[in-house]
Amino acid sequence: MIDLTYGLITGIIFGFLLQKARVIRYDKQLGALRLLDMTIVKYMFTTILVAMVGVYLLKDLGLVKLSIKTTSLGGNILGGLIFGIGWALFGYCPGTSLGALGEGRYDAAWGILGMLGGAALFAELYPLMKKTVLTWGNLGKITLPQVLGINHWIVIAAMVVLGLLMFWFFEKKGL
Amino acid sequence: MNDRHEPKGWNPYIAGALTGLLLVLSVWAAGKYFGASTTFVRSAGFVESAFSAERVARMEYFIKELPKIDWQWMFVVGIFFGSLIASSTSRSFRWQAVPTMWEQRFGPGRLKRGIVAFFGGAVAMFGARLADG
Repeated sequence: MIDLTYGLITGIIFGFLLQKARVIRYDKQLGALRLLDMTIVKYMFTTILVAMVGVYLLKDLGLVKLSIKTTSLGGNILGGLIFGIGWALFGYCPGTSLGALGEGRYDAAWGILGMLGGAALFAELYPLMKKTVLTWGNLGKITLPQVLGINHWIVIAAMVVLGLLMFWFFEKKGL
Repeated sequence: MNDRHEPKGWNPYIAGALTGLLLVLSVWAAGKYFGASTTFVRSAGFVESAFSAERVARMEYFIKELPKIDWQWMFVVGIFFGSLIASSTSRSFRWQAVPTMWEQRFGPGRLKRGIVAFFGGAVAMFGARLADG
C-alpha cells in the first residue's frame, strides 16, 4: 500500500515537471525527431546526468541497488527501431501520453488504446520472441563500466562532459 | 497555434535536474526506477481477463507481468494528474484533437489523426516491450 502511495505521489510530481517544461506535446516530440527543437533532449539528458550521479553516489554508500536490465542486441536494436517508428507516428511517449491527456491533448487517447493493443499483441507473440529475437546477442546484465573494465566514475564523468558539450552545441545553434 | 496568453514553460535544464533529483529520491525512498510500458501490459491483461480470465492466467507474458496495480501503475496515473494540475493552474490546459504541427502538414481531420495515433501507439508499445524498456 505504501508502494502505491509513493507511486502516485512520484507520478504527480513527474507529470507536473513534464508539463511545466513543455516536453509532453506532440510538437515538441516531433520537433526533436525533426531536429528542429531539442527541448526534450535537454530535459531528458539533464535528468539522466543528475540521476546518474545521484544514484551511483547512493550506491557507493550502500544505500540503493541498481536495477540492470538484460542486454539483448536483437531485442534492443529491433525493439528500438520499431519503437521509433511508432513514436514518430503517435507523437507521444508511453508514459508522457497520459500527461498529454492531462493537458487536454486528447488525440493521445487513441494512442493509449493502441498501446494497450500493442501490449496485448506482444503478450501473444512473447513465446515466439523469447525463442528468436530475444536470444540474438543476449549479453546478460552488463554495464558500461563493467564491459570497459574501468571505474564507474570515469564513465559518469565522460557522460557529463559529453552531455555538456551537446547542450553547448544546442544553445549555440539555437535549437 | 499556441495560445498567446500561455505563460512560457520552465527552463528544460532546471526541470530536468529536478526530475533527476526526484528519480534519485524515488530510488532511495521506495527502491523504484521510472518506467511506464509495463503498466500497459498489466492493463491489457486486466482488459483481457474480463473476457477470458483462464486464458490470461495461462499466458506466459501475463504470468511474468501479472495484471495487478503496482507502484508503476500508480506512477503512470499520477503523470496524468500532475500534468492536469500544472496545466490547469497556469492557463496552458487546452482541449486539442489535432496537434498544431500535425495540422499544418496533414490537415485538421480528426479521423486521420486518430487512426495514425492508434496505429503508432500499437507499434511503439510492441517495440518498447521487445526492447524491454
